[in-house]
This record gives sequence, structure tokens and C-alpha cells, in this order.
Amino acid sequence: MTSDAATLAVNLGGLRMKNPVTVASGTFGYGEEYGRYFDVARLGAVTTKSISLKPRAGNKPPRLAETPAGLLNAIGLQNVGVERFLSQKVPYLRKCNATIIANIYGHSPEEYAALARRLEAEGAADAIEANLSCPNVHDARSARGAVLVSQDCQAITEYTRAIREATRLPLYIKLTPNVMNIQEPALAAEAAGADGVCLINTLLGMAINPETRKPRLANIVGGLSGPAIRPVAVKMVWDAARVLRIPIIGTGGITDAASAIEFLLAGATAISVGSMSFRQPDAALRIVDGIAEYLKRHQIADVNQLIGAMKP
Amino acid sequence: MRYIQDCEVVTHDQAAPSHWRMRLRSEDIARAAKPGQFCMVEVAETLSPFLRRPMCFSEIHDDGFTLLYKIEGEGTRLLSQRVPGQTCSIQGPLGNGFPIVPEIPRHIIVSGGIGVAPFPALAQALTDACGRPPEVVLAARNRELLLCAEQFESFGCTVYLATDDGSAGKKAYAAQMLERLAPDPGTRIYACGPMVMMSATAAVAAQAGASCLVSLEAQMACGDGTCLSCVVEAKEEREGEKMVRVCVDGPVFDAALIDWEAHSTAYDL
Repeated sequence: MTSDAATLAVNLGGLRMKNPVTVASGTFGYGEEYGRYFDVARLGAVTTKSISLKPRAGNKPPRLAETPAGLLNAIGLQNVGVERFLSQKVPYLRKCNATIIANIYGHSPEEYAALARRLEAEGAADAIEANLSCPNVHDARSARGAVLVSQDCQAITEYTRAIREATRLPLYIKLTPNVMNIQEPALAAEAAGADGVCLINTLLGMAINPETRKPRLANIVGGLSGPAIRPVAVKMVWDAARVLRIPIIGTGGITDAASAIEFLLAGATAISVGSMSFRQPDAALRIVDGIAEYLKRHQIADVNQLIGAMKP
Repeated sequence: MRYIQDCEVVTHDQAAPSHWRMRLRSEDIARAAKPGQFCMVEVAETLSPFLRRPMCFSEIHDDGFTLLYKIEGEGTRLLSQRVPGQTCSIQGPLGNGFPIVPEIPRHIIVSGGIGVAPFPALAQALTDACGRPPEVVLAARNRELLLCAEQFESFGCTVYLATDDGSAGKKAYAAQMLERLAPDPGTRIYACGPMVMMSATAAVAAQAGASCLVSLEAQMACGDGTCLSCVVEAKEEREGEKMVRVCVDGPVFDAALIDWEAHSTAYDL
């Protein structure tokens, strides 16, 4: 279906992607899990589960609650840690020639910098996405007491600068939507040297079982994802695109090519498929094919012509 | 090999109040499936409810498989409205399944409520592999919820019935019935049911020196090991990990591996 692959390629702040489709960190494991269903190298990039310096056990269960057209999760960044990531997870992605966006998480600017430096030195990533916005870890507070680093523009500046100094790889900052005005953190990331921003991480939410009166998540609060949040995400991408010079990875409730194209029209250069991979493991690949079909149907030569092309 | 297929609904009947039995056609999935494995069932074609539901294979046929499920919420309620001739998207088989070891002298299945679901397939496989049927403790809240008794009897199983209210069989809990059967170190126990019942069964097995396998249930988004929602706490770390995933490390676990205290706090809300 993608008869002319060149028409789908995008440049994401220095990373050439063969198409604008990647997957959201935490919804695609380390790639191998879904390699059983399709060739993950066909995606523009594979974005991995957040990696920290040391392995993390994550939160207590229950960690998942389904909500209307979406889900709440409070996983708590359970991951294998950078050493096992390098020895056990990267070789698969390299062997199948996947483009790797490594998502990283740390407790301090220094930890993020150390992770980025290590991943670049090992040739284990083609780009770095820094998760400054996980709502489910209690050690994610910035020094000034904001709940999430990316709710604090000064912290964004510090963290982004530290990572920027540690790596020459394209660097994206994943931001939280739980802010008053998304333009401010996005501009802070840009000014501190980021090559792109990823919008949006999950919206804070919670659910209570009325029969037991207990929260449905052991963590009480979790992050909402899925189609329920899509309009919020599209709006935030649109808001940010009007003030940024760096590109945006749009994400939040993308389920098919039509919803992916919404994000491109709002101003995203690339999109990531998140929770939909849980429902349909090859959803991201179907979206690659669906975007190609859309371009053909509308006689558009290059996917880049769609970026920010919403009609007034 | 695992598949994502639109499978035709062959039969779909109510088995008890709120309990349904759905037979689906897929030679591929049936050929690949083992007792104790599960599949992810798409319950709605629309995006709400959003996630697939994990369900174990209750029976495995030449041309398909049967799911036995209980209506727990909106997703399973919608699923129960599918009629023969319609299709249902199935992803699977997933998970590890029960190991079948014919050399073990005695096999006892211990089932509580809808926890009976994986056992018709297991009873058949054990009967075929061992040349004699396993014993079955079939427990439920009341007579109406004792499912699959005829199936077990058709394999030649001795079935011990127990109900919480005494409306059929002995008025006893599953673990109490198991204790009366005097398991010993030459016994393997296969348990599935409510957390408190599996925990009690595991304790009886440990006391008797018998091996005990449990099939756990958990909410999961993917069924494939990526979402990390369905974890349970293990008693000890393995490769630096304390959490095990029901979907890919299980759903069948050695009962001795599970931290029952942590698990009951987490799931019997």
C-alpha cells in the first residue's frame, strides 16, 4: 500500500523517520512483545518503556481500571533498568533494524543525563525521549514541590539542559497535560535545547468502586488514556504548535489513521499510538497503511503537507 | 504461534444465572491452544468498553474452543448478546498453560465458582495423558453455580460437590473438601477460584507436601506482557524482579511462588 515510501518520511528534530508513526512509551514494551504480530521496523520508530538507571518494581496492584472509552493506569514505571535494557532488549530492536526512541526516567537531572550519555555511548538509541511527566511515581517531584517535573517550567529548563549537555542525539521532552497552559512548558523545553516535545502524557484521574467505597487503583490516582482523552490532546498539540519552532509528537487516544491525521492537522510532525496497541497489537502498522491510503485518496504527495494544515 | 482472528460464534448459551458458554470456530487457535492458556476477547466493536477481556479456554475442540464466563460488568454483558453466526475477535493463545506430568500418581482439580472455567480442558488432557481421569472438587456458593459436573463425569472423573449453603453436595469450602481427600506428596493439585479459596487450597497442599498449581485471574490491558497491569507479588525476587505478570509468567503458577497475603489485599477488594 505504501507504494512510494518517501511520501511518508518526516524529520523529527533531526531523526529521520520512514513514516510519522511511533508508539507511546509504556504501551509497546520493548518492541519484542509485538514483534510476534508484525515487523516493528516498519514503524517510523519504536518508543520503549521508560528506562531508569536501576530496575523498578513499580506500584502495588491493582494498577488498571477501565473507564468509559479509556483506561486508568498506575503502573509506576516498572522496568528492567538500563543494564538489562542494553543487554536483553536493545539487541532485538537493532537486529530487526527498528528505529529506537529510548524513553528515560530518573530522579534528578544528573540521572537523566547519565542515562542519555550511556544510551548514546552504547549506540542503543536513535533519539531520546525524557519522561518528565509520569503521574504515578511519588519520587517525581521537582525541588520546588510541583507534583511532576513538567508542571514546573524552571525544572523543565534544568532537566532539559542537563540532558542536552549529555547527548547529541535528538532529544524530546514528554510533557504532562495537567497544567494551566501547555505553551509555557513546551516553550521552556524548546528554549533549553529540546529538539521536540511529546504531547500528551496521561491526564490525572481516579475511579472509586461504590460498593466497596475503595479506590479502583492501589495508588488511588492514575493516568487516563485512550480515546476518551483524544480531544484534549488534539487541542494541546494545536496550542503548542502555534508557538513552537521544534516539532511535536502528538499522542492521546489515537485509534486509527483518521485520528492520527487529526493530530498532524493540528500541528504534530509525528504521532504515537498508545493504548490502542493493547486492544489491537498491530494498530500502529494499520495506521501507517491508513495514512498512505489517505494521502493517495486526497492526492497529497507528501505527508509533511498535512502538518498544521487544519483549514481555518 | 498466536493469532488475532475474527471467529464465528457457533453456540452461545446461558449456563447458569449470569454465566455463559460460548463456542467459537478457529482451527488455528484450537490447534495452538493448551489447557490453562487464555485468549483476549474483544467485547465491543465500538471503542467503549475499550479493552479486550482475558478468558481461558474452557474446552478445546478440533475446530475451535469454548469459553465459559461470568457477567461481571458492561463488557461481559455486551459479549453475552452475541448470537451464533456473528463473529468475535480473539487474540491468542496466550500465557503458559498447565504442565501435564503423567508420572505424578494422583491429580486433583479444585475449583471454586467460575474458577471451573479452565478445568474441562485440563481434565480431558490429564485423562488422555495419564490413562485415567483426575479427581475433581467442584465448589460454588450454591447448587445453581456448580458448573461442568456432567462434563467431568463424562471423562470418568470422581466429582466431589461442595456448596457454601449446602444446597448440593457437602456444605463445605473447596479447601475443606480437598483436606478430606487426604492429598500426599504424590499428589498434584490444580486450583482456580476466588483468591481466598486458592490461598486456602495452597495452604492445605503445603501442609500435605503436595504440589499445587494455581491459575490466577487479573485485570489486564494487553495479555502480552507489555502493559504491566496484571502483576502479582512473588514471595521472592527472580532475576531482580519481585512482580510476576499473570499474562506471560502465568496465568498458571506454582502456589508456593505467590505472596498470598499481599495478593489477597490487592485483589479481594
